[in-house]
Amino acid sequence: MSVRTEPIIAITPKRISRRWILGGLLLSWIVLAQFLRGKATLELDNPDNSPFTTWAGEVADSIRDNRTDGAAFKFFFNPIREFIDGFVTLSRELIAIPSGSSSIPVLGWLGVISVIGFVVYAVSNIRMATAAVALTFACGALGLWTDSMDTLAMTFAAVILSLAIGIPVGIWAGLSDRVLKAVTPILDLAQILPTLVYLAPLALFFLIGPASATIATMVYSIPIAVRLTAFGIRGVPTSPVEASISMGTTKRQLLQKVQLPMSSRTIIMGVNQTVMAALSFVVIAALIGAPGLGKPVIDALIIRNVGEGFVAGIAVVLIAIMLDRSTSAAISSQDTFVPPSDADRKRRRIGLAIAGILAIVGIVLSRQLAWAAFFPKQIDISKQIASASDSSVKWVTENMEFLTAGLSKAVTVGVLNPLESVLANSPWYLTVVMITLMSLILGGIRSAIVSATLLGAIVATGLWYDTMITFTQTIVATLLTMVVGVIAGVWIGRNARAERALRPILDAGQTLPAFVYLIPMLGFFGPSRFTAIATGIVYSIPIVVKIVGQGIRDVPVNMIEAATSTGSTKWQLITKVQLPAAKKSLLLATNQGLIFVLAVVVIGGFVGAGGLGYLVLLGSSKPELQGKGLVAGFCILLLGVMIDRIAQYMVARNSAPKH
Amino acid sequence: MVRNKRVGAKASVLAAAAALLLSACGGAGVDAEASDAPAGDCGSYAIAMHAWVGYTASAQVVTEIAKANGCEISQVTLAEAGVTYDAMESGSVDLVIEDWGGGRWQEWADRGALVEVGENGNIGLIGMYVPQWMADEYPDITDSANLNKYADLFVTDESKGKGAWYEGPPGYTTIGEKMVSANGLNFTVISTGSEQALIDVFTKADADKTAAIGYFYEPQNFLAKVPLARIKFPANDWTDPEQASGLTDYPESPLIKLATPKVMDANDAFTKIVKNFSWTNADQNEVAADIESGTDPAVAAQKWIDAHKDIVDGWLK
Repeated sequence: MSVRTEPIIAITPKRISRRWILGGLLLSWIVLAQFLRGKATLELDNPDNSPFTTWAGEVADSIRDNRTDGAAFKFFFNPIREFIDGFVTLSRELIAIPSGSSSIPVLGWLGVISVIGFVVYAVSNIRMATAAVALTFACGALGLWTDSMDTLAMTFAAVILSLAIGIPVGIWAGLSDRVLKAVTPILDLAQILPTLVYLAPLALFFLIGPASATIATMVYSIPIAVRLTAFGIRGVPTSPVEASISMGTTKRQLLQKVQLPMSSRTIIMGVNQTVMAALSFVVIAALIGAPGLGKPVIDALIIRNVGEGFVAGIAVVLIAIMLDRSTSAAISSQDTFVPPSDADRKRRRIGLAIAGILAIVGIVLSRQLAWAAFFPKQIDISKQIASASDSSVKWVTENMEFLTAGLSKAVTVGVLNPLESVLANSPWYLTVVMITLMSLILGGIRSAIVSATLLGAIVATGLWYDTMITFTQTIVATLLTMVVGVIAGVWIGRNARAERALRPILDAGQTLPAFVYLIPMLGFFGPSRFTAIATGIVYSIPIVVKIVGQGIRDVPVNMIEAATSTGSTKWQLITKVQLPAAKKSLLLATNQGLIFVLAVVVIGGFVGAGGLGYLVLLGSSKPELQGKGLVAGFCILLLGVMIDRIAQYMVARNSAPKH
Repeated sequence: MVRNKRVGAKASVLAAAAALLLSACGGAGVDAEASDAPAGDCGSYAIAMHAWVGYTASAQVVTEIAKANGCEISQVTLAEAGVTYDAMESGSVDLVIEDWGGGRWQEWADRGALVEVGENGNIGLIGMYVPQWMADEYPDITDSANLNKYADLFVTDESKGKGAWYEGPPGYTTIGEKMVSANGLNFTVISTGSEQALIDVFTKADADKTAAIGYFYEPQNFLAKVPLARIKFPANDWTDPEQASGLTDYPESPLIKLATPKVMDANDAFTKIVKNFSWTNADQNEVAADIESGTDPAVAAQKWIDAHKDIVDGWLK
């Protein structure tokens, strides 16, 4: 148990008294938990409902009964669903599924590739365009052309709709303080909401299918578009704005001619982030019937086919790299302030014309000739990749069992079970009181009030025990993540070469869907809580390493020079100067780590980790437990908010100016 | 090239758009080459894919036959029961070829979202199994009344000091917790999350002679490779909701087909296939075995279709 607070305490060396109080609290908690073990744990058997979940199930049933005749459905939900369904179908028919009476999409594979090449060339340069074409082609070579195009089409539809809402709202929030204040809490909430949570409620209102999947994706990506747009508008320097106002421009002119052009870079960055957010939703959206690359990943998870899942995961990463680099290239082409010479312009025009002609030829061919319409089956390297990844996982499973089994056992018996017995298997009131007291010490009175309220709400739902199971796994995974993340973060923060070497791995780790490595984890560790924990660690390490690395790099040079000149050793430099100076980054990394881990640990319900995630899944499959599944999702949300709030109050407290 | 000098970016975008429009009605060339299927009057349908290999076998056979008869088929991966019935209600899925749900779909059928089409010929039997070596060594273990006596054998780090009871994935029909509580068993139910995880558990238990009790079912080709013994629990009628609260064992049940009214009303080739499809557990195991050994499901299905022309022709009548 004492480990839990180490990353927090180690970096607050001055507050000795606080450390003692925390230690005392922990000790008394452990002792009390020993005496009261198994009492008032509020454990609810999986097939049983609590009064609250029964009620939620009845509400869900009545919503379902209203689907055909209810006014809210007739005039609100169903029209929205039909509109989005139509839009998605349109964009799928363009590149992925047969359109109308034809047996091919509007664009065959050659057409798609030429259009991608042309568009990327138009917004950036020839090198980017070649790369984009190669990456798209590679998706086909993985034997996943149609699924890749479905994913591209779904992403495209979700991004267009997200931007159509996100950018106007963002502009509004950029111009009006009141609007910004109103939307900020919603944006914060949307960003800490684990993706698994909103699938079931959305499916209830928008049914299963592409529309629900698109709306779920939008819930996830709109906040990012809003945030970055508002940030861009607010970042416009005041002098040009004031100058324009003094010249008598209208508000509309001001926006069109000054504020929007000057913030276009940030807004395009928002587009980039929106695209990436939408893409990261690909796999989880398949759970509610989204077509695309998520399908083979989920299939592979259920039949634990490592190779198949890995191949589909690579395709997701390829598309992510393609979209990320293309949109980033569009940002950097905004950065050239040197006006192009006439010769440059001419060359560019000729280039565009040639690219345009090539694109048209590609489109026409792809509509006329079978070889240009259907991706050639001969080009398929998926079998080789699948069997290579299969056999490497098999090798590890067979030859490294002492290591995998040992690691799993050490964490399960050494950390997980003891922590679970304190958090979940002791009386609920003890856990509530102790968490509240600890957040009082760590984050102050407001943090304590928030914790007590949220914990009380969780108790009221009847899913207290399962929430504590999930909480335990989240804490253990975050602890391990922080150990690895801080070591790697310090390394890349101090060593530029290491940073360059690790960055592509970290980037890929952030785009690879968590489901993809959940599959080999299941092979290594079997159906267990540790499988969920290991997956959560892998998923959240990149973000933690990046934040810690940045924090270490941002430590002022003079502090380091001062320490070196007084003869500090390297170890002293790291522990006494760099880590304490990067305290805020460490806290931020912990916060992000917790949120990321929570999002994945609940997915662990797929592989025997139990807890809230499992209840969400049970609810989606068993009608009599649907209320419980919905409430479990709600508890994940409460847990996420509580973790985030405590961490935020801690960051605020620690970054307050010291006297 | 000289003449292209004045062609700007906007112009070429416009040209591309125009070409797109022009060629929009020119797809005939590809269609003519692509239509190797007889031009039957058949609509486009989505088949729910549930994640067990037997289901894949049945669904893939139906898919291949339907495609060969001019239907346009897509496959949608979804968990069993609730989500799938919702998907049928929304029209994004049209067919469940093998439903184990024990009548959970009734509520959806009442609303007109789906129709029970009848049995698909397979007889399903879910149960709790132990590796055969355990049944040989402890002959009385196959009676559920004796399970507590052996609970200690099944303890793992995950099972909280009780026996570890490996339950089927959440997307399957499972009643493990009810079985444990109704029979007063000293076991902890652990969800395995996937069919493959269960297969891993039993494979390992068989090879290393370790103890394991877990969810399994027939028809499943795996039973031919690793012998398992089914535990007998007190039987009860679980289609009766009153009795269902005291569930203790899975009944042997004919598996059924569910389809949307759209399928039933269309009266096209797909309607016929859906209505008439029926095959034995042995048929399914044959295709499933091929899929399990790495054959592409479409190829495995086609192999069976080619070998059973007469049966398939019967479905199309």
